[in-house]
Amino acid sequence: MKITIISAFLLLSSFVNFAQQNEGVVYYTRTSRWTKMIETIDYMSKQEREKMAYMFGNKDDWKQYTILYFSEKQTKYIDSEQKSEESEGYSGRKEEYVIKRNFEKNSTTDIIEMLGKVYIVEDSLIAPNWKILNDIKDVAGHICMKAMVEDTLKKQKIVAWFAQDIPVNAGPERLYGLPGLILELDINNGAVIIEASKIENKKLVQELDLPKKMKGKKVNEAAYQDLIRKHMASMKKEEQYPFWGVRY
Amino acid sequence: MQKVSIFLFFLFSCVSVFAQNPARVTIKGIIQDTSSVGMGGATVMLLTPKDSSLINFSRANDKGIFEFKNVKNANYILKVSYVGYLPYQQVLAPSPTEIADLGNIGIKPISKELLEVVVRTARAPLTIKGDTIEYDARSFKVPAGSTVEDLLRRLPGMEIDAQGNIKAQGKDVKKVLVDGKTFFGDDPKAATKNLGAETISKVQVFNDKSEQAKLTGVDDGKKEKAINLELKEEYKKGAFGKITGAVGTDSRMAARGNYNKFNKTSQFSILGYGNNINETGVSWGDYGEFKGNNAFNNNDNGDFGFGGGNRYYYSSNDGIMNNFDGRGFTNNGGGGVNYNFDNKKTKFNSSYFYNQTRLFLDQYLSKKTFLENSAFLTTDTSSQNNFRGNHSIGTRFERMIDSSNTLIVKANMKAGMKNDVNTMFQRNLTEEGILRNRSDINNLTDLTNFSLNTNAIFRHKFKKKGRSFALSLGYNINDSNGTEDLKSISRLFDAKTFSEQVRAVRQINNDENRQNLVKGGAMFLEPLSKKFYWETFYNFSSENRSVNRQALNGLQENQRFDSLSTYFENNISYNRVGTSFRYSHAGVNISVGAASLQYGLGSKEFTGKGGQLLKSISKNYPAFIPNFDASLELKNNLYFNLSYTMEISAPDLADLQPVINNNNPLFTSTGNPDLNPEKNHSVNLSMYKFDPSSFLNINIWGNYNYYLSQVVYNQTVDLNTLKVRTRPENLSGGDNYSIGSYISFPIIKTKLTVNFNPYIRLSNNPTYINGVLNESNNKNYNINFGLSLTPSEKLIVGLNTSLGINNIKNTLGEAPNQNIRNNSFDASIKWNFIKKTFLETNLDYKYFKNERFGFEQDIPIFNCSVRRLFMKENKLELRLAAFDIFNKRQNIVQSGYQNTVSTQKALTLARYFMLSVTYNLKGHESKLKKNEGW
Repeated sequence: MKITIISAFLLLSSFVNFAQQNEGVVYYTRTSRWTKMIETIDYMSKQEREKMAYMFGNKDDWKQYTILYFSEKQTKYIDSEQKSEESEGYSGRKEEYVIKRNFEKNSTTDIIEMLGKVYIVEDSLIAPNWKILNDIKDVAGHICMKAMVEDTLKKQKIVAWFAQDIPVNAGPERLYGLPGLILELDINNGAVIIEASKIENKKLVQELDLPKKMKGKKVNEAAYQDLIRKHMASMKKEEQYPFWGVRY
Repeated sequence: MQKVSIFLFFLFSCVSVFAQNPARVTIKGIIQDTSSVGMGGATVMLLTPKDSSLINFSRANDKGIFEFKNVKNANYILKVSYVGYLPYQQVLAPSPTEIADLGNIGIKPISKELLEVVVRTARAPLTIKGDTIEYDARSFKVPAGSTVEDLLRRLPGMEIDAQGNIKAQGKDVKKVLVDGKTFFGDDPKAATKNLGAETISKVQVFNDKSEQAKLTGVDDGKKEKAINLELKEEYKKGAFGKITGAVGTDSRMAARGNYNKFNKTSQFSILGYGNNINETGVSWGDYGEFKGNNAFNNNDNGDFGFGGGNRYYYSSNDGIMNNFDGRGFTNNGGGGVNYNFDNKKTKFNSSYFYNQTRLFLDQYLSKKTFLENSAFLTTDTSSQNNFRGNHSIGTRFERMIDSSNTLIVKANMKAGMKNDVNTMFQRNLTEEGILRNRSDINNLTDLTNFSLNTNAIFRHKFKKKGRSFALSLGYNINDSNGTEDLKSISRLFDAKTFSEQVRAVRQINNDENRQNLVKGGAMFLEPLSKKFYWETFYNFSSENRSVNRQALNGLQENQRFDSLSTYFENNISYNRVGTSFRYSHAGVNISVGAASLQYGLGSKEFTGKGGQLLKSISKNYPAFIPNFDASLELKNNLYFNLSYTMEISAPDLADLQPVINNNNPLFTSTGNPDLNPEKNHSVNLSMYKFDPSSFLNINIWGNYNYYLSQVVYNQTVDLNTLKVRTRPENLSGGDNYSIGSYISFPIIKTKLTVNFNPYIRLSNNPTYINGVLNESNNKNYNINFGLSLTPSEKLIVGLNTSLGINNIKNTLGEAPNQNIRNNSFDASIKWNFIKKTFLETNLDYKYFKNERFGFEQDIPIFNCSVRRLFMKENKLELRLAAFDIFNKRQNIVQSGYQNTVSTQKALTLARYFMLSVTYNLKGHESKLKKNEGW
């Protein structure tokens, strides 16, 4: 009880000095669940999906790790090289994935490898159409509010939990635009959960910079979305897993 | 209607108000706490009232003042949030003035108790709606069978005394509702004491008006705490299954059924089948459903080695799956049960299965054997009636003791019997067609066998990330008892003496084989840095085997044949220690290592069990094994793998036992207790590329094996009588290569896809024939070409062609090259021609040729079926099928092995018609599938 009061006090007091919190690093754990990912695939019958879930049992998840560098003016989100415990040290190649937001210049620059190619998506910022809900919960020691958005392109329901006490409108993956830092994302009812495990407040030097060499095909947001839309439509027609080649 | 008009009126009046309102507005205010202190840093959001969409947000300055400049003048929800305070919201109507000053907005702190709830429940989602707190019951773990009272005890901010009286945030709870309704009267304890915790999804605590206030309708301001329990929609459980019955012409029939019942932690299934249509087991899909989450397990046999030896999935098939090889007629039956339990910490699987098959096989074999200066021909006609029956019981237990320790224990038991009747008529002729010998054989075999495999593995993860340790221990038994009853009469026309010209065998072999094996291993993985790993392993095993054969002479009052009887003991010990270094980073995994091993090979040969020692061999066989493995994952879905290792394996017991096998007196074999292990270099290379945008798939592979020591069957052929004796011996110099590729890509995306699959296999197999080395060079060239056309969702057409040439050259004498051709062409159509009605047909044309044999045969097989789905959810399927309409099916195998080339023909199930009915609890698929399975 005492601890609670103290922690509550700490929370409050830290909030007063919130300026210090507005620059740092968030480490996320990205957990994917295969049987949930296939729940939304409509070329498979309900029976097939249930059979798959039946055979996988509880063994259908895998973990990846991601990092978000944030300041009030810009953010950069990348995949971490950290290996999961199940990997026994074996390392898989990470596809190129750098998500950069510059709030000052109102611009986005994303380096995304998909469909076997590297694309550089450049455009101005368009925040997702968030809905704010009443639920609150604690993520990594921060009290977070719930928000929701629908990704009409990938047909995903996304739930975000944003910290009330870190006033940076950043977040993991390509999401941002809430009054606080997003500490947890839940895509499609648990198919992918990205949860903050550690938040470090520190002055960033060059972590926010984009890589010096950027090789890839430059496209704008509309063209990028068009690529995904076409790919997903043809995969669906082939009755193949539509997120093969595209990040979930 | 009335409502609409009122609404319209309302709308108009709104519009009229709007008309005077400015288009843009500035909204401002001051956020204060209960003691009127400005709340600096409070988050202020503007949401649409329709769906709470976030329009804009800002932060209050250090005095608590916030401002939204120049926003659209519309209806909003103003929402304020601040850590430690209740979220506040207020509905805003369009402002009549350009500046909408909301004045002071007071926000209330969350009570200490409530804040504690949020912090202490940590990751448990908790909803605060006004003054209602909602707990997510799933986040609070209670033991199975707990009541709601036990659940409430775990909820922060909730107190329950010994009598079961409930207090929420320090206040008495007067009422407990279930799904908003009173549960069995007014006693709040009725629900909490009687309902099971597992039925509850949410617990809501709220302030209710006092009973007094409700009665009088006058709000006295008194609030009472109340609890509402929301029930779960449905527990995660269910059942599925299907049953099929089929009857056909020529008394063909088949039945198969399975039923599965499951809930969140356990899966139960039963499976059964019976038929005389050559299905010796079930399909992969049915097998998977039967085994459930036990179908895949980590490769947990505990044989640690290079690459951890435990990264891959495997599935043991237990003989449940169909493995019919295309020859003969079979009657089959089987059935079993499977139970799986999995609550993430403990996983338990067990299954029992019995299956049996009776095979009736008539086959004809024609074989040519090359000798130094000549060749001879063998023809045999054989008829077999074989029965196999197997019981198997398997259990597996896996427990996560804690986050760093795991234990796996496995045990599999099998008990089986087989019963074979084999009659054969064999003739051997010279190239000129002169009959040199013939034999009539009639052998019976009765055998029972029992095996038990047990294994335990313990894994430990150290605190240091990536460091781990594993131990394994196993014990296996494999025993068999059998009787062979051998009857044969052979005539060797060119034998020198009369007694050798006619040989009659009437022999009874009583066999007892015993094997037991103890094995163990240890593995240690140490991360040297983020990118470098060091792996060390040790394995040992000790195997004791004994063969007791009593051969009795049926022609002489069952006297013991001393020359054909033996008692043989064999011991193989194995010790291996190895280590490897690995670099693993960014998709590059390269490992270099070596192991040192030693086989201890010992054998003792006695005149009989408990008899006199005839011969004893004891030797050590050491070896050094280098190992290299590189796998690269490159950009653009390109994968490379190159590996090299030395493979080494102990000889089979059958090849070691020093007793003559005279089941066929014209072709006898003897074991060799002096055999050394097989040893070969092995190199594998593969490349894979997938382009997800064009759907291009390229797979290229190659491998090479070179034998330093290979077990080959050297032959001694009596040139007069053409009697053959073989004996296994070690030989070096054999090798084989193979290289192949598979490419597939769409010509018209989603409509027309082609695939191309060429491969080449070259092998060189040395053997000694009458003391002269023969090298048999086998060159196998194959090309497969396939095309899949999907003009619409209702039609799928497939075409496949396969061309194969096998060229065999023996170096012995001047044996001519042999060319064997195996070609096939297959066309298939699946057509959903009327709703819920499907036509499936295929034509499979096979062509076989061996010019030197003068052999040429084509077999066209045409199958056709129509099926229709009936009932709600398509639960019933009726299917009429015609198999092999031309009545041409037979099995042909052409092969070249060592110094022989052969063609074998076997009869099998040809034309029949069948009507089948399937009832599927969950309904059948009502459209065509492009990709079978997944």
